[in-house]
Amino acid sequence: MSEVRAVRNLRLCSKDCLCLYVCPTGATDTETGQIDFTKCIGCGACSKACPSGAISMVPYKYPKAQVKDELVVDRLKRIINSKVEQEQIAHYIKDNSTDEKEKLLAKVLMRANRLISEDLYREAGYMLPQNKNTKDFLNELLEKDSTNKETIEKLLTLIDFHE
Amino acid sequence: MKKYICPICGYVYDEAKEGVKFDDLPDDWKCPLCGAPKNLFKAESVEVIVSNEPEEELREMNYGEISALCSSLARGCEKQYLEEEASLFTKLANYYNSKAAVKGDFKELIEKVNKDLDLNYKKAREVASEKEDRGALRVITWGEKVSMILKTLLDTDIPEDKKIYVCDICGFVYVGDEKPEICPVCKVPSFKLLEVERGA
Repeated sequence: MSEVRAVRNLRLCSKDCLCLYVCPTGATDTETGQIDFTKCIGCGACSKACPSGAISMVPYKYPKAQVKDELVVDRLKRIINSKVEQEQIAHYIKDNSTDEKEKLLAKVLMRANRLISEDLYREAGYMLPQNKNTKDFLNELLEKDSTNKETIEKLLTLIDFHE
Repeated sequence: MKKYICPICGYVYDEAKEGVKFDDLPDDWKCPLCGAPKNLFKAESVEVIVSNEPEEELREMNYGEISALCSSLARGCEKQYLEEEASLFTKLANYYNSKAAVKGDFKELIEKVNKDLDLNYKKAREVASEKEDRGALRVITWGEKVSMILKTLLDTDIPEDKKIYVCDICGFVYVGDEKPEICPVCKVPSFKLLEVERGA
């Protein structure tokens, strides 16, 4: 099997269709607009031919993520704790306030704080879903709470984790 | 020579570099990055007081944090075009979000964002600089700027006739008629600045 596959950025695609002409397997011609990964042999012809730079070649296996210093992770997690709490308070205000202005501000704060926490997690050792940290997190979650057993187990099988 | 900082986007006006004193700039001068008015700018405070009180150990993740990590991983999977994995992480994120709840009011939100700006980000920056972790410095810089904006939002009234956009990458909030061409904080093109609908 090839080490890479082609993916199409639909926002950049200008429908010049050169990828359809050069693809040796027909993988680039689909009803969803995305490339058929099962047909793609990773030759890269479509990516080279695309005049809009809409097709990139991505690896099946990603290299290991950068190891993060424990002290840095600790500091970032403290900010996450605070931001998540702010998101939750804003959520409470949005659900309980009767004032439209307050609700709107709460909604904005919910979204912004969530985005900040997500970004912080990326730098706190969870940049790549394939990272071992993700695997450990999912296993701990499985022990703690069996309600989502199926979903978590599915993720553990689907993701190609680094050891 | 002093530095003046835009509280909206974090733009730094450095008198030494510009050659013009900040006070000598015309009153209608605006932040070249995000258009914030001159009178909002604040002189950079020189003293960085970071308290060294002993802190509690990090506690176990709560439901809100589990949800945020799952939605972050969902985005990571999306970027790799791993659709099934992304939707499973989103499912988990939604489930734990529905279980998370913290009561509170705007006063507490102001206290918390102030603590982030006065303590949490400063400490994090200190450690990340020492460890030369530029990725961490990146997330600290963006988050600190966005926190300044959130603080400003908490202090002011959102005008009824203005639209509100949130940058889907860094969380930057823009209040106005037309969104900027790029996000002033993370520099992503404007199509990633998503409008927050009123009502609902």
